[in-house]
Amino acid sequence: MIRVEHLNKSFGTFQVLKDISVEYEPGKCNMIIGKSGSGKTVLLKNIMGLMQPDSGEIWYGDRALSSMDYHERQQQRRNVGVLFQGSAIFDFATVLDNVMFPMEFFTDWSRAQKIERARFCLDRVEVTGVEDRYPAELSGGMQKRVGIARAIALNPSFLFCDEPNSGLDPHTSILIDQLISELTSEYNMTTIINTHDMNSILDIGDRIGFIDGGRMVWQGSKDDILETDCPELKEFLRSNTLIRNIIG
Amino acid sequence: MCRIPASQAVRMVRCFMIKNFFESVGRYCLFLKMVFRKPEKWRIFWRQFVMEADKLVLSSILIVAVISVFIGGVLVIQTASNMSNPMLDRMYVGYMVRESLVLEFCSTMVALLLAGKMGSNIASEIGSMRISEQIDAMDMMGVNSAGFLVLPKILSSVLLSPFLMLLSMALGILGGYLVVEMTEIIPTAKYISGLRYSFNGFYIFYSCFKMSLFCFFISSISAFNGYYARGGSLGVGYSSTKSIVTASILILMFDLIVTQLMLY
Ligand SMILES: Nc1ncnc2c1ncn2[C@@H]1O[C@H](COP(=O)(O)OP(=O)(O)OP(=O)(O)O)[C@@H](O)[C@H]1O
Ligand SMILES: [Mg+2]
Repeated sequence: MIRVEHLNKSFGTFQVLKDISVEYEPGKCNMIIGKSGSGKTVLLKNIMGLMQPDSGEIWYGDRALSSMDYHERQQQRRNVGVLFQGSAIFDFATVLDNVMFPMEFFTDWSRAQKIERARFCLDRVEVTGVEDRYPAELSGGMQKRVGIARAIALNPSFLFCDEPNSGLDPHTSILIDQLISELTSEYNMTTIINTHDMNSILDIGDRIGFIDGGRMVWQGSKDDILETDCPELKEFLRSNTLIRNIIG
Repeated sequence: MCRIPASQAVRMVRCFMIKNFFESVGRYCLFLKMVFRKPEKWRIFWRQFVMEADKLVLSSILIVAVISVFIGGVLVIQTASNMSNPMLDRMYVGYMVRESLVLEFCSTMVALLLAGKMGSNIASEIGSMRISEQIDAMDMMGVNSAGFLVLPKILSSVLLSPFLMLLSMALGILGGYLVVEMTEIIPTAKYISGLRYSFNGFYIFYSCFKMSLFCFFISSISAFNGYYARGGSLGVGYSSTKSIVTASILILMFDLIVTQLMLY
């Protein structure tokens, strides 16, 4: 479980996150949604520990992130899988080596075992036949899927995805959503997904937090999101034609 | 409108620069502390070490060889033309060419060349990994990104660059020899006896030491600038330029300091 308490974060005089408190449960697809520039990525990076909050605390289970020393934090990160908004797969390695990278460091598996595991992960995101290519030779969507394969390579307990299906076609997009949802319940992972994709929200959003202007103004699930009274969220949802027809 | 007197403005700018300088030095030291942590897996470290040795040192052999041969040749002609006094033995041309190459050219000049070649390579490579979040991705796996990316670069350049320098010396002397053979500017036998005259082995050690020290500056400073690059591709370009300038200045400063300490 991850708990965020009274988190504030500014860049210079510009306050991006304002007093955010939220809890993320294991085995559920937790979502952070909001308009572009609302602070989703900044919130996720604070949760991951890549940014320091100005005030507030992040708890992983009963351990506060700020109280961990270097070694504890490294240890804790080995349990985390991350997909970055821009994929962030390594330019210097082939697709297969990218997925095998965390295994090289943190397992004692034989090379054959690592390759088998990497192939399995790549199969699950439907990337096949390009194992020996470099990232520069892949499409943006393929890079994203390789990023997901790498994130799940070691069965992490925490999975953070920053816009996993932006830039993907609708078919692959649904596939990725289903995959994340399956893995989350299969391995009881605590998953946090940043998105503004309506399909994902309505498909797999077990717990949804809506950020507007740096505040978490609404929390709920895919079942009650369409009945919301929150005017900012309503406006956000209306940007989708189908939903506009439903909620009016 | 509130006006700040010129003297006060100058003082503020100076304070700001001094503060910036000490802040950078502090961050550089903390960065080195991260870099020199024990690698997670030695097998991965050695693999990276060999790759970096190839990319940074072996790939520099050609350019170093070319300039060494030419500079050796030029040194012979210049020295000979400045020693036209018949009272001076022509042997001294060979002697002076050797001393110039060993003491200064093959370490300092080659290091300045490497500051451009290696420095821009390291800073832009690490900088572009930083801005595309690849370093964050590595950190989030629990891998010490600074150690994984930078330590092999620093160690391979520090440990192997003296060989580059020895090669440069040999080729510089060869370049001089070729010119002597082709132009007969001085008798070949005189050139060779000059090369062997009053040889001090300590100078070779001094030059190797300088070269390693300079390569440490080049690799660590450019890695530092790349690692903390910000602001997209412009930031990467800036970090690369800054690395070359800083490393070059440090090379010249420490050339003076090391020479004073070791030779005088
Ligand atoms: N390093 C930074 N320095 C200064 N401002 C930043 C920085 N990172 C983000 N911001 C600002 O914080 C705000 C939130 O950015 P963030 O990247 O979290 O948006 P987002 O919700 O993820 O948007 P998107 O959906 O487009 O990815 C933006 O206004 C952005 O300008
Ligand atoms: Mg974002």
